[in-house]
Amino acid sequence: MPPYAHAEPGNVVTLNVGGQLFQTTPQTLALAGPDSILSSLASSLPSSSSVPFIDRDPDLFAALLSLLRTGRIPSRATAAFDHDDLLAEARFYALHPLFLSALSSLALFDAFALRRSLLLPLPGRDACSALAPSPLDASLLVAHGGKVSSFDPSLRRRATVLTPLPAVDSLLALGPLAAAGAADFPGLHLLDLGHPGGPVRHVLRWCPHPSAPAAAVQAIGSSPDLLFCSFESCRRNASAILAFDLTTFQPVTEIARREIYGAELDSAIPATKLQWVPGTNLLMAAGSHGGPSGLLGDIRLWDVRSGEAIWELKEKHNCFADVTVSDGLSAMFKVGINSGEVFMADMRKLSSEEPWICIGDGRRPSTGKEGGMWRCGRRW
Amino acid sequence: MEGRDSSHVTLASQPNARVVLDVGGKLFETTVATLQSGGPDSLLAALCLRANPDSDEEPSPVFIDRDPEIFSTLLSLLRSGRLPSSALSRFSNQDLLEEALYYGVEASLRSALSPPPLVGFDATLVATLRPASDAFPTALSAGSEDGSVWIAHGGQISAYDWSLAHTGTVRTHLDEITALQRVWPEVAAAGSLDSPGLHFYDVSGGRHVGSVHWSDPGDHRVYKARVTAIAAGWSGPDDPVYVAFECPHRENCILAVDPATLLAAAAIGRQSGSAAKAAAPGRLVHVRERGLVFAAAVSAGAFGYAGYMRLWDPRSGEAVWETNEPGAGSSSRRFGDSFADADVDREGSAIYKVCWRSGDVAVADMRRLGEDPWVYLEERSAAVGMRSAGEGANSVLRCYKNQVFVGREAGLEVWSQIMDKEGGRRRSERETEAAVCENAFRRIFVDKEEDARRGLIKAMEGGGDRLFLSREGVEGVEVWESSDLSGAISLL
Repeated sequence: MPPYAHAEPGNVVTLNVGGQLFQTTPQTLALAGPDSILSSLASSLPSSSSVPFIDRDPDLFAALLSLLRTGRIPSRATAAFDHDDLLAEARFYALHPLFLSALSSLALFDAFALRRSLLLPLPGRDACSALAPSPLDASLLVAHGGKVSSFDPSLRRRATVLTPLPAVDSLLALGPLAAAGAADFPGLHLLDLGHPGGPVRHVLRWCPHPSAPAAAVQAIGSSPDLLFCSFESCRRNASAILAFDLTTFQPVTEIARREIYGAELDSAIPATKLQWVPGTNLLMAAGSHGGPSGLLGDIRLWDVRSGEAIWELKEKHNCFADVTVSDGLSAMFKVGINSGEVFMADMRKLSSEEPWICIGDGRRPSTGKEGGMWRCGRRW
Repeated sequence: MEGRDSSHVTLASQPNARVVLDVGGKLFETTVATLQSGGPDSLLAALCLRANPDSDEEPSPVFIDRDPEIFSTLLSLLRSGRLPSSALSRFSNQDLLEEALYYGVEASLRSALSPPPLVGFDATLVATLRPASDAFPTALSAGSEDGSVWIAHGGQISAYDWSLAHTGTVRTHLDEITALQRVWPEVAAAGSLDSPGLHFYDVSGGRHVGSVHWSDPGDHRVYKARVTAIAAGWSGPDDPVYVAFECPHRENCILAVDPATLLAAAAIGRQSGSAAKAAAPGRLVHVRERGLVFAAAVSAGAFGYAGYMRLWDPRSGEAVWETNEPGAGSSSRRFGDSFADADVDREGSAIYKVCWRSGDVAVADMRRLGEDPWVYLEERSAAVGMRSAGEGANSVLRCYKNQVFVGREAGLEVWSQIMDKEGGRRRSERETEAAVCENAFRRIFVDKEEDARRGLIKAMEGGGDRLFLSREGVEGVEVWESSDLSGAISLL
């Protein structure tokens, strides 16, 4: 955007918003995008004497105009208005994608300078059991008990729906819908968050045999066009990962189907974590269970098209407490459950004998604390 | 643009015409359509009715000598239909209301300030109404649909309007009002267990309007009868108000009182009061959809609770259905597990009860009441722990907006119906045998642990999109409502 413009009549646009005059350039207004009434004003102006009038609040418009000019929200606007009001006004001008990207800009995320900023109270007594931030905007889904609350990108508004699940264990945001599952209730439930009374739109089920009851959900993941769900049968002797089409919710393929035969209990560990790795187009599936010889786990990378595991790792000695794949760093990370240390495996050298490299702090003696949940930050 | 063509037509016919207002020295420019959106009778809409003499030139601003800050908030409301959330922190509801009254746009403000539909599992405590003196509430009436509430505290009745603003307090001659019902927009019917008669008070004017006593010319023992309950669900001037009276010698009946003449029209259900199953009802509900009066009485004794529920047909004066508890129920597991409180939903489709020993909630379909119509609702939430004996004692149960609110000791829970797609199909198949399915409801706590520490829930009423409740020995009435605001607390 040009910082100054020649004073030719066609290069300066004057707008009257709620009685206040604003002057800017057509280029600035065109940044608002084709859906916005501002860019249509910029293109259709005959540079005549009439000043276009918009019947909206001038102070909120001033904040959004400086967002267009500078790409960031002026701090005096955040002091004077709630994010909620700015977001609603940005929606009127169809500026909300720009506003949300300015609000949740990656440049603002600094892993070494994180502070607590907001506390979101939940209604009722149920503690939060699953969190699902939306990848598109900064909105957030929170499962507490059998309820799912959705917070809007400004985190100032909340809507709560009641699911048929006794307690939601896994949750994923899918644009307007949310996918919720429970480890003790059959079926993956797709919820429409706009209907508090009856939110269930679809129930996706998997039965290991036609006569068997539907299986419970252990983990949910998604790629740009597929929804993955790890099911475990209610008798806990069969498990599979199903891929569903994200638009029609029809099952596309079934991978990683495992059943327990005989005494080989470890053969059907269900995946409790699913993560799509976009750089390699693979699905990371990890699961663990406690057996007589301690915690056992396996991590697999699946090629969804062929339905085959590209790489498989049995975790016997220092099983993971949690595992994640970072696309940007092209590496897999885990927290060992015995050592509590963080390990890293290079995705390009996964075929080696012992892929894990301990990246823990060498100065600190191992505490032996059990590792907890963790997740890769978005900058990785 | 369109406002330029004719000079003799008023602005009101041109919705896109622009209007400049000078409010307290600040200029605002808006359109006729925005100003008219507050309603045709508003001051702002009336401004548009002025003829626009020189529309070719820049319109001269109309000066209004009011505060520009609040006006800009109200103008935002008219423009976008939503109240800026920063306005709620900058101005009190009272400021906004007075200003909206001046401009005549209180209807828009009212819809913006009113809570969203009450959803029990998403309700939070928003306010505590505390009358100025003697603030221990003894009775509540929240019958009207706008979310207003009348509170009886001691011998006084305090009225709070839809915005929960205090509109007036009237001192009655009663010492302690134990039954209260709003029968006209300004008239309350009040009764006390200490002194006889049903008394009507004009709350805005603060005066006594009339009294109704139960008298029987043929029976001189009927004398000094006190009011034990006034029926909830009174909805119009055509309906009588049903009031339960009890004499000092425990004889009791239900009087139908005509609210227009303030006279007793008919007496139904006269009982001797000599046993628990003939005691005066402590809860009356007028089930208008079915033309029935629901009466329930509970008494707590050394061996637990006992009581009855009865459905009276006011035209014939006969009881069409009754159940006595503890009775010889078919299920031995439920024997001795009498109800602690019962209520009928407004649609008249079901009776709900909470049992005193097990604390279970049961429902009976009004269409197929019989010997043992109860379907006990199954607990399916994962997070709620085990319950012990006697947990249902002191429970309060109210049906409101298709939800069942249960005040169990100090905790507030809601049983919400689950609209499961698959479950719905299963329910409709089962509808031939039972209309209500025991797992169609889910029990969810409405309150938090620290809310429950405030004390025993004594009374509960739903009105508008709010739930009002009072606690034993605690001053004030709690207001619970759903909100779409997240209530985020900044920690920076």
